[in-house]
Amino acid sequence: MVTDPILQLEGVTKTFPNGTVALRGVDLAIRSGTVHGLLGANGAGKSTLIKILSGALSATDGTIRWKGEPVNWSHPRDPRRAGVATIYQHIPLVPTLSALENILLDQPGWKRERAQDRRRVADVVARLGNPFALDELAGDLPIGARQMIVIAQSLASGAELVVMDEPTASLATEERETVYAIIRSLAREDGKAILFVSHFLDEIVSLTDEVTVLRDGRAVLHAPTETLDEAAIAEAIAGRAVTVVERGDNRPAPGGTVLEIDRLASPGRLAPTRFLLRKGEVLGIAGTLGSGRSELLHAIFGSDPAASGEIRLDGQVIGRYPDEAVAAGIALVPEDRSAQGYVPQLSLAQNIGLAALGQRRTHSLLLDENAERASATTAIERLAIKAPGPDALVTELSGGNAQKAVIAKWLTPETRVLLLDEPTAGIDIGARTDILRLVRQLADDGLPVILVSSEFEELLAIADRILVMRDGAVVCEADPKQASEADLTLMAGGSRKQQAGANA
Amino acid sequence: MTQDWRGIFSLKEAGVYYALLILLFILAAIASSRGLPPYLGGENLGNIAYQASLVGIMGVAMTVMLITGAFDLSVGSVAALSAAVLVGLAGSIGAFPAAIAALCTAAAIGLLNGAIVQFIGINAFIVTLGTLTAVRGLVLILTGGRSLMVENPQVLAELLTFESTRVPVFWAAIAVAVVLVAIGVAKRRPIRIAAAAVIAGLAILAGPNYAVAAPVIYLAIFTTVMWAILRHTVIGRRLYAVGGNAEAARLSGINVHTYKMGAFVLSGTAAGFAGVLFGSRLGAINPTALQGSELTVIAAAILGGTSLFGGAGSVVKTVVGALLLFTLTNGFNILNLGANYQGLIEGVVVIGAAAIYTVGGRRRARPLSLNAAPASSAASEEPAS
Repeated sequence: MVTDPILQLEGVTKTFPNGTVALRGVDLAIRSGTVHGLLGANGAGKSTLIKILSGALSATDGTIRWKGEPVNWSHPRDPRRAGVATIYQHIPLVPTLSALENILLDQPGWKRERAQDRRRVADVVARLGNPFALDELAGDLPIGARQMIVIAQSLASGAELVVMDEPTASLATEERETVYAIIRSLAREDGKAILFVSHFLDEIVSLTDEVTVLRDGRAVLHAPTETLDEAAIAEAIAGRAVTVVERGDNRPAPGGTVLEIDRLASPGRLAPTRFLLRKGEVLGIAGTLGSGRSELLHAIFGSDPAASGEIRLDGQVIGRYPDEAVAAGIALVPEDRSAQGYVPQLSLAQNIGLAALGQRRTHSLLLDENAERASATTAIERLAIKAPGPDALVTELSGGNAQKAVIAKWLTPETRVLLLDEPTAGIDIGARTDILRLVRQLADDGLPVILVSSEFEELLAIADRILVMRDGAVVCEADPKQASEADLTLMAGGSRKQQAGANA
Repeated sequence: MTQDWRGIFSLKEAGVYYALLILLFILAAIASSRGLPPYLGGENLGNIAYQASLVGIMGVAMTVMLITGAFDLSVGSVAALSAAVLVGLAGSIGAFPAAIAALCTAAAIGLLNGAIVQFIGINAFIVTLGTLTAVRGLVLILTGGRSLMVENPQVLAELLTFESTRVPVFWAAIAVAVVLVAIGVAKRRPIRIAAAAVIAGLAILAGPNYAVAAPVIYLAIFTTVMWAILRHTVIGRRLYAVGGNAEAARLSGINVHTYKMGAFVLSGTAAGFAGVLFGSRLGAINPTALQGSELTVIAAAILGGTSLFGGAGSVVKTVVGALLLFTLTNGFNILNLGANYQGLIEGVVVIGAAAIYTVGGRRRARPLSLNAAPASSAASEEPAS
């Protein structure tokens, strides 16, 4: 099925006014009726390329052909008129407007609500399987449904090429499956072209027809997907052979109990839960979005005011507020690093020093900036954070490096239990491997860790035990040496009946 | 110690200092061309500082407030209430106890503002807009709508001493300059040495017998203390963190409520102190006193580059912002430039300053990421990845 590409890029380069070269000559051809995967590490130029396709940036040099005609898009409305819709990872919806009005937001016309628009949108939404009600406010919908709104928006505007920038990064497994099904049907049945950007190799392999890999602003690999496997793609992304952490089984046996969780519950979020955490152990929490996994961590950390129950650290009951938990030595790396993890106005060193402010209690009130910078520099080296220096702003770092900075702030001698909530979400495979290795290393050095992840392979690789959560409760415990990814998926997301079967 | 010179002297970082200098020289040039007494004399500069002192004191606390990401519109009313409490009670219980009562009242209103904002969760703008009106009402009730004054001549004299004493500052200024030079040399901070040169220069210009009104000294001490807390203590770092990203601060183990409420109490107390100074100035208070001063206070903070969204701000620059506003007022009065134009010019200056900070902020983001070799292209991508 060799058709002419609907969109063709030839030697596209982008140099920013400050001299940064983001793209050094990228060729890319996207055909109608196919799903084209685009991969690359953070900083490889993916986002710049997407911004050029969406008209938010214009290319410095090179040709862009749309249906064979050279075009010069300099404003977001140009590609949109031509028929290119771009779906960003962070969904720009107006939370106070209904789903319908969000879908119609970019449509011309005077009247706010027209019956014919409503019918047209209803048709589109029905084709997606009615994942949301048209009149529901966008802000009230779960994140998966909001993703659907954006997809519906691109379809309603009659797009022929849909660019999706990591549409599944924040979705749980079932929601991802829905998105995949929709993407497939858009390409196969409606003949749309899809440019699908993702960090997830498995979904690229199973979903796409062709793959382009960017590295350092160049397309280093372009091939039909059936000729590739995950390892080949990973190698192209990193420029070297990589593996996500291999499971090693010759590790020291976990020591004595450090943390006891007893009757921990939060109304409507978490059913009464009890478990123990031992020295040197990585306890994995497997669960989909909304399974109560983040809620469990926040209940332990004291950042859920409604939570009740008892947390004992080395036999001492600890308080029910985050400042008390931090003072006792419990550390939380939250799920959303930009909203919860760092303070954008503070420098890298100051952000890394932030946790130490809460952990030390009665020492001097004076800040020792030299010591703070020195310990930040050590942490930057230890975690291989790519940054100009300790005075850089965290907002200038790529996602993976910002995540490392959020983890780095807890690597103090006072930290006695580390809670990690999706530490590898939305970051490239190199940083992901670094973080997983670090977590395992910390545990081997004696620090107990609770790791929440949607990437079950990560849990299987580094956890000593796995608790599976669903609907706000721990439903079973799995042994990572025996369970497979499919087992965990079934336990975390299967129906109740299958669940009973899996346990039997 | 690497210094980013372009950053330090950029319009965004140092604009308010340039603006004050330029304004002073323009006014001085106009004054000399009209044959008026020298505008830049110690007498006149001391006057400007004296006139700016109340707004400066409230502005310093307001800056702390804005750094934590909140807002206090009630400072003008709280200051008036504090003055009314002072003037109303001084005759019966004495000047000092009355001043304490006034400060406690103001702190209590700050605490009330903070408690409503933090524990009920109403936006600070709305809460303090309410207390702005309600506390002004309280002033009217307390004063019965008339001017109050201190009748007892002895108490009145005490109040006047507190407010109007003139303090000789020559040797103090020289001492401060010496300390700054010492710190500057020891820590290789040329900016400190430059500041020392400015202070010493002004002191020598004014002469060894030069004295300023007491409120200027109170402002200088309060500013120095707050600057030191913000710059050099853990409390300061936590205040910036709470304002920059409250959730990240909370999840780092910082008690966000304490710091946000603390800022409200500080703001209330500072307004109370400004009220005490105001009441002591005349030994009298009229119920509409200080009306609208909260807006001047906020304007001073904005001129100083404080962000209304929290996480950034400098108390020293706020004080310079207050000086800038009062230099404008003073210049219009002394040079008789037509008082009708004053409001227009002040408004334009505030918006112009905000525009410089906003545009300057955008430009600055680029050159910085140039140094970030590995992360540079990723810098602009972080929002999307």
